[in-house]
Amino acid sequence: MTFDIRTAVFALAACAALGAPYAATAQSTHDEQQRLIAQIQTDKHAIVLKTLALDDAQVAAFTPIYDQYQVERKKLFDRAADLLELYASNYESMTDAAARQVLKDWFALQDDEVALTRKYARQFGKVLPPAKVVRFVQVENKLDTLVRLKAVANIPLAR
Amino acid sequence: MRISSLAVALVAFACPLLASAQDESVQVQSIRADEQIILSQIMTDKRAVYAQSLQLTDEESRAFWLVYDEYEAKVKRIDDRFIRLVDDYAAKYSTMTDADARQMLAAKMKIDRDRMALQQAYTRKIAKAVPAIKALRYAQVESRIDNELQRKVMQVVPIVP
Repeated sequence: MTFDIRTAVFALAACAALGAPYAATAQSTHDEQQRLIAQIQTDKHAIVLKTLALDDAQVAAFTPIYDQYQVERKKLFDRAADLLELYASNYESMTDAAARQVLKDWFALQDDEVALTRKYARQFGKVLPPAKVVRFVQVENKLDTLVRLKAVANIPLAR
Repeated sequence: MRISSLAVALVAFACPLLASAQDESVQVQSIRADEQIILSQIMTDKRAVYAQSLQLTDEESRAFWLVYDEYEAKVKRIDDRFIRLVDDYAAKYSTMTDADARQMLAAKMKIDRDRMALQQAYTRKIAKAVPAIKALRYAQVESRIDNELQRKVMQVVPIVP
């Protein structure tokens, strides 16, 4: 069994930015992928704003922090794509050493994802009411779960 | 600002809070029962899923289950904390104060960090008990089960008003 790393990476890219349909664009170039991610990130911003139902003053305070959050999330996505590349390049002849490296990088990524959410929950807590911050974290968690469910569907288990 | 149709669908998924006040009351009351059913079903199914997906030899199996049983006992305590938090959330859902929201967010983040740390620590132990490739496969299966559990929980726990 093999898997197409370009499809898997693009699935992750699309999913990381909100689960865009990726099948039709599996042959996309890196630039095309980046453009799509940027578009979907714009959509994600709209979804979060709609869900949080902020007033104008809250939107003004929220947006610059959220934009920075998205920049940092994008860096984590790039690391996830690197990890997937590492996994794919070793998939056919996975050694124990490679498996250990994948686990190590995966765990570091998990740690940093949790730390990022925590960091920005604190920052949003300085400009938004606590209930809005809870809502932000809930929506992010829901979207992240959807992302992971979609992404892993394209990644075969190690063998 | 354009929102794709998929994005709109995701908003709908992300907002089960759109129910009427009467529906909301019924929904909140059923959270605990639903959550416990989900957890219990998934915990039961997990062992069968691992047995089937890891394809362990007899020797690996003995080593794996020894570590896994220890992990399961510890993760159960974290699951219990999560259930208590969901109970608290349901009880305070309609009258949540700022202090409640802060306390529950901190508690949820602590539970998530503790669960992740435990999963990572025990995956490392499993990687010493069985070949690392099988430990990686275990972590992948565990992650998929977790994602599915999260999806099911999110369907029964409404977003804060």
